Amino acid sequence: MTPRLAVEKVGLAFGGVAALSGVSLTVAPGEIRGIIGPNGAGKTTLLNAICGIVPPTTGRVRLDGKDVTGLSPSAIAARGLRRTFQTSALFPGLTVLENVVTGLHTATRAGLLDCAFGSRRLREEEREAAARARRVLEFVGMAGFAERPAGALSFGQQRLVEIARALVSDPAVVLLDEPAVGLSLNRLADIDRLLRRIRDERGVTLLLIEHVIRLVMEVSDSITVLSSGTVIAEGTPDAVRQDPAVITAYLGTAVHA
Amino acid sequence: MRQPVLLGLAGALALAVLPLVANPYLLFVGNQLAIFVILAVGLNLLVGYCGQLAFSHAALSGIGAYGTALLKVHLGLPFFLALPCGALLATAVGLAISYPALRLSGLYLSLATLAFAQFTLWVFMNWEAVTFGAGGFRVPAPSYPLIGAGLGTYYLSLALAVLLALAAASLVRSRLGRAMIAVRDGEVAAEALGINLLRTKAMAFGLSAFYAGVAGGLQALMLGYMAPESFDLFHMALMKAMIVVGGLGSIAGSVIGAGAVLFLLEGLRAFKGAQEIAFGSLLIAAVVFAPRGLAGALNRLPRWRESYLRRPARDAAP
Repeated sequence: MTPRLAVEKVGLAFGGVAALSGVSLTVAPGEIRGIIGPNGAGKTTLLNAICGIVPPTTGRVRLDGKDVTGLSPSAIAARGLRRTFQTSALFPGLTVLENVVTGLHTATRAGLLDCAFGSRRLREEEREAAARARRVLEFVGMAGFAERPAGALSFGQQRLVEIARALVSDPAVVLLDEPAVGLSLNRLADIDRLLRRIRDERGVTLLLIEHVIRLVMEVSDSITVLSSGTVIAEGTPDAVRQDPAVITAYLGTAVHA
Repeated sequence: MRQPVLLGLAGALALAVLPLVANPYLLFVGNQLAIFVILAVGLNLLVGYCGQLAFSHAALSGIGAYGTALLKVHLGLPFFLALPCGALLATAVGLAISYPALRLSGLYLSLATLAFAQFTLWVFMNWEAVTFGAGGFRVPAPSYPLIGAGLGTYYLSLALAVLLALAAASLVRSRLGRAMIAVRDGEVAAEALGINLLRTKAMAFGLSAFYAGVAGGLQALMLGYMAPESFDLFHMALMKAMIVVGGLGSIAGSVIGAGAVLFLLEGLRAFKGAQEIAFGSLLIAAVVFAPRGLAGALNRLPRWRESYLRRPARDAAP
């Protein structure tokens, strides 16, 4: 089976400093893949390389077998990849609903004249887009906030809306950069459940960076461990937990007297 | 219909019957108001909605004005053709400069467009064989069916102002308007949603240039006289004042701001030097006391709801 997402020997250097080198991983359709690693391991850099914000200097990125390396972020997004950001990236000048509808930009077609003169095509498209956006807001449990300005939400609520915005176009792959950051511990179970529902009910393949190890271990089908820009381990959560290289990377080497 | 739209149409209706009672001076002010509204709405699309701080609007309206007038003077094109050609010329120039200019951001975009504006003025002044230089030139009066030139241009301006303001109000609520706002509020996030940054900015630039070109062409018809100083930096500052005082990211604000600036401009007509001081003070007062402009203040009224009042973000997300 063609992997949904394939990262092949991706390297990325800033000046002379290699942020990523020879990173490879393949994610099967419908998988939740966790990416963990100490601070500075290159996790967010890997996400940026996959979605085209910082194109890799070497290696390839494939979506459903098709090479997307070097395409602009908007072109990669149009091919069915979405992401969320570590700090909230909602558009504060738009309402919650409008933010989510903006996620349908590539799924809508109205041209300049449609938009300026409010053609029937525009009105139908807008109605349909708003309905889709409301359904996905319902899905993440934010239906009651649709008309609020995005900036008026709490941090945790903004994260949920951002996830809704990433999901609304029914993308094949969503990259989530620390969805649980700043959430209280009793919300973790909600995020856990939401991520599973995204996979099971919407068939979305997820790549998840997360610092809350408990969440990653619970929810991921498999885990890739990065350290200093390279993959040091990969496997099921249990296998990764036992891996001596991982323990060393996180805790340092045991000192034997 | 929404309250701001209703009030706007009521205002337009009042302007439509104004000629029945007004003297020529009031007619001129009414006509200038319609032109200012087109200028302000067009500039707000680029600056208020798309967040691109460009200084080329007055120069682009000059290109529309000179284009319209010179096509008539040199080629004998009738105005009903010269005006759209002038506007399209401004749009083409706007799009052409947008491609290099929009790769720049923030301060650099401002500087590049400022340089373009000064260059355009220089061309108006020095390409004497075509533009008649600093002294300017007379524009023949247009002719309209049934009514005189003055009234004809008045109603044409009014109709175009209403049409273009309504079109902008529709646009900013559509997918393309949201794309512009998304680019303003967070370029990286917008791109990650599949919004093409350059294309969206170029669209805003071209649209805004089209509005400027139409307004410039109407200005040429109304004044019957063209001179470079009508499109200098003072006029650019006037246009900026309209959208800042009225409200960045608000179509209603653009209309109100155009009115406020015109009121001040005409009120101080006798005191040339005072105009610039007054506008400086007005701008500072608006920034300090009403950062969202008059539209922001109106939005606090219980029944006033410009349902898509856009305000620029203080700090853009990543």
